[in-house]
Amino acid sequence: MAFLDIINVSKTFGKTTAVKDFNLQISKGELVSFLGPSGCGKTTTLRMVAGFEIPTEGTVVIDGEDVTNKPPNQRPVGMVFQAYALFPNMTVADNIGFGMKIAKKPQEEIDQRVDEMLDLIHMPGFGPRYPHQLSGGQQQRVALARALALRPEVLLLDEPLSALDAKIRVSLRAEIRAIQQKLAITAIYVTHDQEEALSISDRVVVMNAGYMEQVGPPFEIYNFPKTEFVAQFVGTLNGAKVEVIDPAARIVKMDGQNIQIAQNLDDTHSGDIINIAIRPERITLATEGMKTNVLDVKIDTITFLGSIVRIQVVLGEYSFFLDTFNNPYLELPKIGDIVKITFTDEAVLLPSGGKRN
Amino acid sequence: MSEQSITRQNPGSAPPARSSRFKINWDYLGLAPFFLFAICFLLLPSASIFVRSFTGTDGSFTFDNITAIFQGRDFINAYKTSLSVSVITAVGGGIFGFLLAYAVILGGLPRWARSFMLTFSGVASNFAGVPLAFAFIATMGNAGLVTQMIESIFNVDLRAAGFSIYTIWGLSIVYMYFQFPLMVLIMAPALDGLRKEWKEACENLGGTEIHYWRYIALPILMPTLLGTMILLFGNAFGAYATAYAFSGSFINLVSIVIGAQIQGDVLYNPGLGNALALGMILIMSVTMIGYIAMGRRAARWQR
Repeated sequence: MAFLDIINVSKTFGKTTAVKDFNLQISKGELVSFLGPSGCGKTTTLRMVAGFEIPTEGTVVIDGEDVTNKPPNQRPVGMVFQAYALFPNMTVADNIGFGMKIAKKPQEEIDQRVDEMLDLIHMPGFGPRYPHQLSGGQQQRVALARALALRPEVLLLDEPLSALDAKIRVSLRAEIRAIQQKLAITAIYVTHDQEEALSISDRVVVMNAGYMEQVGPPFEIYNFPKTEFVAQFVGTLNGAKVEVIDPAARIVKMDGQNIQIAQNLDDTHSGDIINIAIRPERITLATEGMKTNVLDVKIDTITFLGSIVRIQVVLGEYSFFLDTFNNPYLELPKIGDIVKITFTDEAVLLPSGGKRN
Repeated sequence: MSEQSITRQNPGSAPPARSSRFKINWDYLGLAPFFLFAICFLLLPSASIFVRSFTGTDGSFTFDNITAIFQGRDFINAYKTSLSVSVITAVGGGIFGFLLAYAVILGGLPRWARSFMLTFSGVASNFAGVPLAFAFIATMGNAGLVTQMIESIFNVDLRAAGFSIYTIWGLSIVYMYFQFPLMVLIMAPALDGLRKEWKEACENLGGTEIHYWRYIALPILMPTLLGTMILLFGNAFGAYATAYAFSGSFINLVSIVIGAQIQGDVLYNPGLGNALALGMILIMSVTMIGYIAMGRRAARWQR
């Protein structure tokens, strides 16, 4: 049985539907990310679990207890907010101990827990400081400690790293994940950063316009997107419309060149136009002797991105990216060169399930 | 982890020697108009008041003006009346202005109501002096519109029942008319600055609305609250035109007594007037020192 159960939850604000038919079961100790663009309903869903919004329909169950209509201060939930939300008039220690103070715990117990939490976030000795004396990353770690101090059953993180710079984001997300795993706490992590969601989560829920598009482990979400939106939103994707030549042999044609694909085309007929998609890292510059899916393209741009080099090629009316790992001795083609690229038949995705357009 | 910076000195490049020991910081030049204004209209008049407080009618040094304040009951009563009106309107205006600002900013009113209230407060906070006094006399005075209407409609003679607006409480109500909106104007941005997440974080940690106001919102607002209330106090303490136009010399405020001593035909004694003014400066100074001490304590988390 799931530890956190979100059942058929919908939320409307006036005539606007923010979340529709949201269903998710989260196991104890699992970290699930809600990933999607702004306005997709991910934060609204999180706030319904926290109790800051009441669902228009559906129920939220935590550890077997229906908490749908319970106020936030009666839910076993700790929350980390986007912009830290530390109380500026209190020291770090007072912030962390605030929940226990409200719960009227003895001062000795509060002090002990505060020290424990400061150790957990690797900030011992920071208790007497005020929030404005800390960096953004430190403030967010304190916010995490504050949310965990009451030992909640569910931890909610609402885009906790979005206000931080790139390097701190990467280190802090690893720290959050390590703490979550150490405490084996059930967690929901809201983000619009796909890399963050993929790197930190046990499962990812991709959301769009209030609906769940796909739920699955990061590997599955990235490699086997079930909808066109997921394919486009998660990672970089080359998309193109192609003509079906032979559905049985799984051959399509793009700009006069045949492409062999691995996925089933049984729903299509010769002459149909369908969408295909290929990840940039699945395309390579072809070498002599390669035969399957070798296409002639023209080099358009070459962009150095540090660990990878992204080459943009033109094929008819379409522009494709292909990524290659950087190394100091990499021999790159020149802009305007006509080169051959290749990809395996499994690399070709059918984001709309091979359906006709 | 503490973030420490290490300053390294390069032995090969010593800092250039200073050309002179004293260097003029020209940045302060921008403040010159302010200093000039403060000297001309604050320091010099204050110094003049101080000197004249100890100057007799023949120009010699004397303590007579100071001792005169403590000899008659009238002057002490004038201070008491001024302090009473100031404290009543500062505290009353502060509390009710804060509540009104709360209703306007956090009460979930529509946007137009908020704009209307803030615009009205801007106008009302500057509505003082003779027009304000006349407005109250014309409406709630002995022959005022409201007084007469109550008498003709309900057949109640307010004067016979002992009601008079020409009392300390009546003057306090008149002062409230500009004190109240001034509080709204200053508190509105401060209340706007309270972040929604603080309240949500408090609730998330088990707190209630009361916990939020007690431990978070009020301590955060306290420096602004104290500062505004001291401003209201000063605003009322130094007011002259409104009180004089409202009650003549019927209500014995220090500012009115000073006016009588400086420009009166009967009570002309400028030395005593200056001594009374010096007393006002001292009271305001003590109040300011108290405010600074309380403000520093309330705002210790900002440093």
